[in-house]
Amino acid sequence: MNWPIRIGSIVLAIVVCFGIQYLATTMLKSDGQRLVALAGLYVTLAVSLNMINGITGQFSIGHAAFYCVGAYIAGFVSLRFFQAQPLQPVLWLVVMMVLGAAAACVAGFVVGLPSLRLRGDYLAIVTLGFGEIIRIVIQNTKELGGAYALDKIPAIREIWLVWLLAIVTIAVSRNLLKTARGLAFLAVREDEVASSAMGVNVTQIKVTAFVLGSAFAGAAGALLAHYETSILPTTFSMDVSFIILTMVVLGGSGSITGSALAAVSLFYLPEYLRSQPPVSGASLAAAVIVIVAVVAVLRRIQHHYHGTVAKKVGLYIGSIVGGVVAKLILGALFGLIPAFAKASYTGDKLRMVIFAGTLIIVMLLRPQGIFAHHEFSWTLIRRLYDKVRGKGAQGAPA
Amino acid sequence: MACILAVNARACPRLLEVTNVERKRMTIWTSLAVMALGLSVLAGCKGSEGGGDTTGGATTGSTPGGDGKPTDTGGTTARKAPTGKGNTQSGDTIKIGLVASVNGELKPWGDDCVKGAQLAVDEVNAKGGIQGKKVELLIQDSASKAEQGKSAAEKLVSDGVLGIIGEVASGITLQMANTAFAAGLPIVAVGATRTDITDIGSNVFRVCYTDDFQGPVMAKFAYDELGIKNVAIMTDKAQPYSVGLSDAFRKKFEELGGKIVAEEFYQSPQDKQFGAQLAKIKEAGPEGLFLSGYFTEVGAIARQAKEQGLDVKIFGGDGWDSTELNTAGGEAIVGGFFCNHYNNEETRPEVQDFLQKWAAKFNGEKPATTMGALGYDATMLMLDALGRAKSLDSAALTAAIEETAGFKGVSGEINLTGNNGNPPKRALVVEVTATGQVFRKAYEPSDVK
Amino acid sequence: MDSGLHLVAGLDWGALPQNLILAIGLGAVYALIALGYTMVYGVLKLINFAHSEVFMLGAYTALFTSYWLGFSPEALQQASRESNWLNLLMMLLASMVFCAVVGVIIEFFAYRPMRDQPRIASLITAIGVSLLIQYGGALVLPVSPPPSINEAVNPYRGSIPVQLIAQNPALAAEAAKAKEAFDVADAAFQEQMKAERSEFDLSPRGLELRTAKQVAERNYRTVRKKAEDSGRELSIPKGQMIMFGTTVMLMAVLTWLVLKTRTGRAMRAASHDFDTASLMGISVNRIVTITFIIGSALAGAGAMMQATFIGTPLTTFYAVSLGVKAFVAAVLGGIGNIPGAVLGGMLMALAETLVVWMGKSEWKDAIAFVILIVVLLFRPGGLLGSAKVEKV
Repeated sequence: MNWPIRIGSIVLAIVVCFGIQYLATTMLKSDGQRLVALAGLYVTLAVSLNMINGITGQFSIGHAAFYCVGAYIAGFVSLRFFQAQPLQPVLWLVVMMVLGAAAACVAGFVVGLPSLRLRGDYLAIVTLGFGEIIRIVIQNTKELGGAYALDKIPAIREIWLVWLLAIVTIAVSRNLLKTARGLAFLAVREDEVASSAMGVNVTQIKVTAFVLGSAFAGAAGALLAHYETSILPTTFSMDVSFIILTMVVLGGSGSITGSALAAVSLFYLPEYLRSQPPVSGASLAAAVIVIVAVVAVLRRIQHHYHGTVAKKVGLYIGSIVGGVVAKLILGALFGLIPAFAKASYTGDKLRMVIFAGTLIIVMLLRPQGIFAHHEFSWTLIRRLYDKVRGKGAQGAPA
Repeated sequence: MACILAVNARACPRLLEVTNVERKRMTIWTSLAVMALGLSVLAGCKGSEGGGDTTGGATTGSTPGGDGKPTDTGGTTARKAPTGKGNTQSGDTIKIGLVASVNGELKPWGDDCVKGAQLAVDEVNAKGGIQGKKVELLIQDSASKAEQGKSAAEKLVSDGVLGIIGEVASGITLQMANTAFAAGLPIVAVGATRTDITDIGSNVFRVCYTDDFQGPVMAKFAYDELGIKNVAIMTDKAQPYSVGLSDAFRKKFEELGGKIVAEEFYQSPQDKQFGAQLAKIKEAGPEGLFLSGYFTEVGAIARQAKEQGLDVKIFGGDGWDSTELNTAGGEAIVGGFFCNHYNNEETRPEVQDFLQKWAAKFNGEKPATTMGALGYDATMLMLDALGRAKSLDSAALTAAIEETAGFKGVSGEINLTGNNGNPPKRALVVEVTATGQVFRKAYEPSDVK
Repeated sequence: MDSGLHLVAGLDWGALPQNLILAIGLGAVYALIALGYTMVYGVLKLINFAHSEVFMLGAYTALFTSYWLGFSPEALQQASRESNWLNLLMMLLASMVFCAVVGVIIEFFAYRPMRDQPRIASLITAIGVSLLIQYGGALVLPVSPPPSINEAVNPYRGSIPVQLIAQNPALAAEAAKAKEAFDVADAAFQEQMKAERSEFDLSPRGLELRTAKQVAERNYRTVRKKAEDSGRELSIPKGQMIMFGTTVMLMAVLTWLVLKTRTGRAMRAASHDFDTASLMGISVNRIVTITFIIGSALAGAGAMMQATFIGTPLTTFYAVSLGVKAFVAAVLGGIGNIPGAVLGGMLMALAETLVVWMGKSEWKDAIAFVILIVVLLFRPGGLLGSAKVEKV
């Protein structure tokens, strides 16, 4: 890449960020704006975890801990010194981001070190444990608000900065993959022994991945603290770590595009469902039965049908349409049963059920994640198109 | 796996380059540095061009003050005015919002709270609504979690409610109150007793007493009435309510001349076995044990204490109130005392009237917890204020709530004028019996001064 | 304080035996859940996140079985009746059977299709199943119902006092005397109470008597405490001992099963090398099913005992953090290793109890993870596990 293009893309990124901010502030109310900001933070978190998990293959399931460290350090410092400092709030926020990132870096280094000795699930449980330890330390520290909350953090709400961080994270991730050093990360993921034999400094790569990934999470934490103005230990509980991990895997482990898109959609799904109208027990029961059946059928087609791609896609669509029809019929039938018809479930109660169901279904139908290891590119779209048309039978994108 | 290996095959031959092409390594960092530079330059521009409004353009939650920094509260007496403008009524119905723990550990309270609020709204609508308009109650779930409570409140704000009712737990209410403060909506907390919640701003109210009252009440009751001079405390470190209540209790009890011989901690919801803490307490030899946590753990603690032969009087705060207390605590909890807001056995007309309405609407049941009455009171208080509001918007509603005086609530008279959102209320000390709870002694705010 | 056992740095060494006993009951539950994690991991290399939900369902099963046996609160209000060991055994079996069924269903629908997929995909499925049961369960199961732990339901509660060091007879006599004085004062006050409206709204005479009673009571307590401190008594909670006994028994059966039977050998073979085992004519599907049956049944046993002996109100989120701790215990002992899981569970319980004993109960929940990290740094495969180099 040469300089004009590089500067051009930076300008473009900034324009996009301000575009998001402009659209959010003009079109959405405060809760919508908050969701846009939080979605941006989740993109950062997912893409940065993807650096550790997807690209380097280090199984970390405690990413919220770094988020937490960044948020609390930034929040604490801001609470104490914001009044006295001369900077503009936005500049101060950037300083806090750097501070949060630095603190999380240190944490990432501390967690990264054991990764030298531990593999797979053992590393996972250590990262999880680290998150829990952080949470309990905060809970027991009065200065950090204990279990109550670190409250009254000055509000500096900059949606553009949130999204700029997300874009920077994506850019760094992508650049990492483009460089020779980036390949070393992939090599460590594939086979540590072989890559070390090839002259890759495995230790350095692993620790770098942790430090880099946690730095971005820390910066995101700093933004969160200033957006929410009140943070508490449970904001960074294990569930949050799991959700971030889910975003990475569902999007396709190792795929930056996948992580980012999955982050946005998985974040919005429960929030969208929150305000949906209630459904009756009959309709719910019908939906559950039909979904199980359709998933089973889709899996059969996926694994046992060997026709052309176009026909396969046709069958997929056919079974989904059939499912919708079956659901309507079944729903009407169940509606005749008084107990079923009377029961009603609000979107509020169902949202986490649907979220969980989505995870299972996606994993059953596409275990490698939506994007697998692919990245978004126009070539990919063209190849997919060709594949459906049956032109490029060998054209499986690598 | 296959696809991963494909990448591997492509990656490996190039691995040798890694050590050779040092130059390429720089690209990430240079691009990152440029990004950062661009960012900071831009941030600077934004700062100067933004002038007065530096806190993110049109976001409603920006802090007050020309320089974009929060203004100093300047003491505790005058509460800050909320920053947002609030909602105005649009359409044919008046919308008010309720956040309750419909899911999660606090579900018994959440359910009662919803029932109470619904009862109040139905009652007002049956009488023709407010200023000729029907009231619509929007309910959002907090799932007993603080962050979810915040999201729920945000949702209600954008749905255009004039005011928010809830929550029961202090940790959740704090997050909601922050949201309401930023948006400029009044919030009437149902059972959040943590003292500093109403310090957030002049839009935060509650219909219950505070821990600064009930802590001392229990301290005084234990010291004077039960004759306990040495007490041990068990605090739920994960619940802000419990931590605050323990502090308030400790302060008053020591002030009275009593001694805290031990304080042990646990964490809800994960802890189920409390033997070690209780063994420690037993060693300290207290005469009483103050449990400041929620009913979810209190019953089990009492039972395990008894099993260990810890022969002490057990007492706690309003977090005990639930039918689960008896079933979880069994015989061990019988004879315990706690501080409550009202009692089903009271003869006041408000209480009897309320019980009748409740029974009529919910198949002859009685409210299972005190949160039914508090939820009803909070909603009624807001509706009452709506009736008096000069215009149908959040600011007028806040002002009307602030002016509430002599409101005859089920849980007692509520006066909010000049009280910084904390109504001075009676506290009832009740004793746990095998069949429920029996009223023992009432305390007025002046009693523990 | 003068027992001579208070030696070092304010630590109450005299209370140590009591704490060790308490740790056993806690460890039993951790161990039972950890066994389930460790078995599934051993065979499938899968962290079965839904295991804690199986546990939760087991607790509910115990609850509903007790209702079915006539120990629902309503039934007990009408006619109080005493349970016996047979009822408890039925609850235990019901929980174990139901959990086994749930475990098999989960395995069949959620994990089996994922078997030849990347492990992280199975992990996400497991998280999905866990969330689905938690939140889906909340739609149908009564949240926070009364756990069936009334004395009527479980008569095997309470504790057995065991005297280690006899109390100083002089002090004991003094305590008995103080007790008498207290009884006299109490009787006088109770007599007066007949003429009073309420214990907390007394006439001056009543107040006087109450104060006298309270003074006598405090005096009695002080003296009694002194007498108690002169000796040393252990109180052994029956429930915790039963839990521990059951755990040891189940572990023994399990060990026998794994080491001595054909199924056990097949299980070990599958655990060692899944693919080769299937080539050697072992029906791995059957083995996996059996593994899930055993692991889930153990969770069911733990759940029933936890619900009836310990008991906090049940919610569908009842076991989330318990599950994490049990998993940590399994990793601590060396995941995939059966004695390791029990050792890990016991060690964790011991660590948590001792932290409280040292007066740092607020750090109780951190200690498990601190120990875990320290142990893994020195023994990356856990205490009894062996660190194998993973080949992808």
